[in-house]
Amino acid sequence: MFSTIYIEEEVLEIQRVRNLLDRFSQVPQVICDRYGEVFNRKSQNFRLQKMAPALILAKKYGNKVLAAPSGYGYNDSKSYYFSHMLNCVYDCRYCFLQGMYSSANYVLFVNYEDFEKSITEEIEKNNGGGVYYSGYDCDSLALEPVSNFCSHFLPVFRRYPDAELEIRTKSTQVRCLLDIEVVSNCVIAMSFTTSEAAVQWEQKVPSIEKRLEALHKLQLAGWKVAIRFEPLILGAEGLAPYEALFAKIFSKLDGQKLHSVSSGLFRMPVDFHKRIVKLYPDEELFARPTQTTDGMIALKSTEENSHLIAIEKLLLNYVSSEQYYRCG
Amino acid sequence: MIKSVKHSMPVNIVVANGLEAKALVKMLELERNHASAEFVEYSNPSKLRLLVSGIGKEAVAAAVTYLGEQQVSDDGEIRAWLNIGIAGHRDAPLGSAWLGNKITDQSSGASAYPPQLIEGFEVGSVVTVDEPENSYPLDSAYEMEASAFYAEATKYSTAELVQIFKVISDNLENPISGIDIRRVPSLIAAQAPQLLILIERMSAIAQQHNSNQRLPSYFSEVCSEIHLTVNQKLQFRRLCQRYKASGLEEELGRADLKASDARALIQQLAERIDRISEA
Repeated sequence: MFSTIYIEEEVLEIQRVRNLLDRFSQVPQVICDRYGEVFNRKSQNFRLQKMAPALILAKKYGNKVLAAPSGYGYNDSKSYYFSHMLNCVYDCRYCFLQGMYSSANYVLFVNYEDFEKSITEEIEKNNGGGVYYSGYDCDSLALEPVSNFCSHFLPVFRRYPDAELEIRTKSTQVRCLLDIEVVSNCVIAMSFTTSEAAVQWEQKVPSIEKRLEALHKLQLAGWKVAIRFEPLILGAEGLAPYEALFAKIFSKLDGQKLHSVSSGLFRMPVDFHKRIVKLYPDEELFARPTQTTDGMIALKSTEENSHLIAIEKLLLNYVSSEQYYRCG
Repeated sequence: MIKSVKHSMPVNIVVANGLEAKALVKMLELERNHASAEFVEYSNPSKLRLLVSGIGKEAVAAAVTYLGEQQVSDDGEIRAWLNIGIAGHRDAPLGSAWLGNKITDQSSGASAYPPQLIEGFEVGSVVTVDEPENSYPLDSAYEMEASAFYAEATKYSTAELVQIFKVISDNLENPISGIDIRRVPSLIAAQAPQLLILIERMSAIAQQHNSNQRLPSYFSEVCSEIHLTVNQKLQFRRLCQRYKASGLEEELGRADLKASDARALIQQLAERIDRISEA
């Protein structure tokens, strides 16, 4: 599962770490001072490291809960994100993480209690409210059997019913949720692209069918479930792949019961895009014409807006406009 | 011995002394290359290079610089770098060997962590010392080049393709003072099965990387015919990559894309691929 486990000396004696090291005793373990010695060094190559990622167990210092970028959320409440982990077990070619870090290793910040303290302080500053996103710099559920993220953080949010936690994921690791009582202020938000996009650009990601099955189970169990259509990447096939995707999803899930549905176009900071192009000069997606606005790069398409409107029109056959928002 | 390799092996091996090289020359079917007056150098038709640096950090850094500077190219190709050598450890059996996953420079205290992409090898830490170490205080292989090798080689390649392989030649029971240097070639030779796999795998990763980065031959053809400024070359390079990534490599060099000056050519290529990709 991991090529190596690097452990900051400072976290070596934390029980959570001891348990992990015992569990993965067959994986080479290397002690380091700070995770920055191993992670995101100048001469590293994200694409090569994806061949055999390592796990880094570290302590997060500094701000642990940050204001979410504008346009990220689904309502007007104050919104925040926190990252107990950096990097993702999946390998999606369109992902901004490839341009954000030079390393594909997974950093797991194990000082959950410090995250918990920061989160509860922020919730209390917001009179018990606010929206908190997890899964911005990682996939929160995909490494659940290793991280036990849900086991720790869901009880925190259960104590604050007016605060909302969104867990953004592409994972089918929902056993940890199905085994516990529903946390009514927790939303499981699953990302989807079309079948064509998934085949072309998503490696190691569970199939659409398996993800839908997981969401279906969650919905039946009473969990709040959301759908994120991100990134929308329009190809020569036009709208047909989206028609097929929506038909598949809404034949399996109850659209009226969805917490929310959103869409977002392919966008990333110019610098990230430049780094990704260097890593994947052979990738067709990055060979497409682009346009830059306010430091963000997007695929250039004269019909982008009309396509987006057409996709939204299709989507609104299944969900209400109150459930839908456009991200970014 | 290495199989008769027809394909390219973009691997540089650096050893500290001729005895370490001796076994490798035979194992890898290398021939002496007299190009350098400064270093003893070997190579084979598969482009595998072996350099004897001399002992210590300064010597190995100079050797890496010598080789790296020769191989710098603007086509984005990189080579794998492997430091092979003997080391001491307090209690590891003579002849045991591992890939370094933590390289600590004893004098500065700084550590580097070569990413471990290649499975199936023993791994362990390595400490680079300025003088031979007799007491081996840590559970590490003690030697005299690795930290400088890694620091220097990562200037020419990506860290994933810079590795350190150490074979234990001395320990507390068999101290360095009593080491029979004539045994060094056999200690290295005994690692042949492991070393051949390691070199093959490093070579395969480097080749895959280079293949992903490879530009259409049109790029070098045009560069040799038309003068391009640095900026134009970058633009032209990216356009060639876009054509290749879009499966349109054969479009490059079409008669209607011929232009006598770089600016016109770049403009034509850009307009064409934007038109095709957007359609």
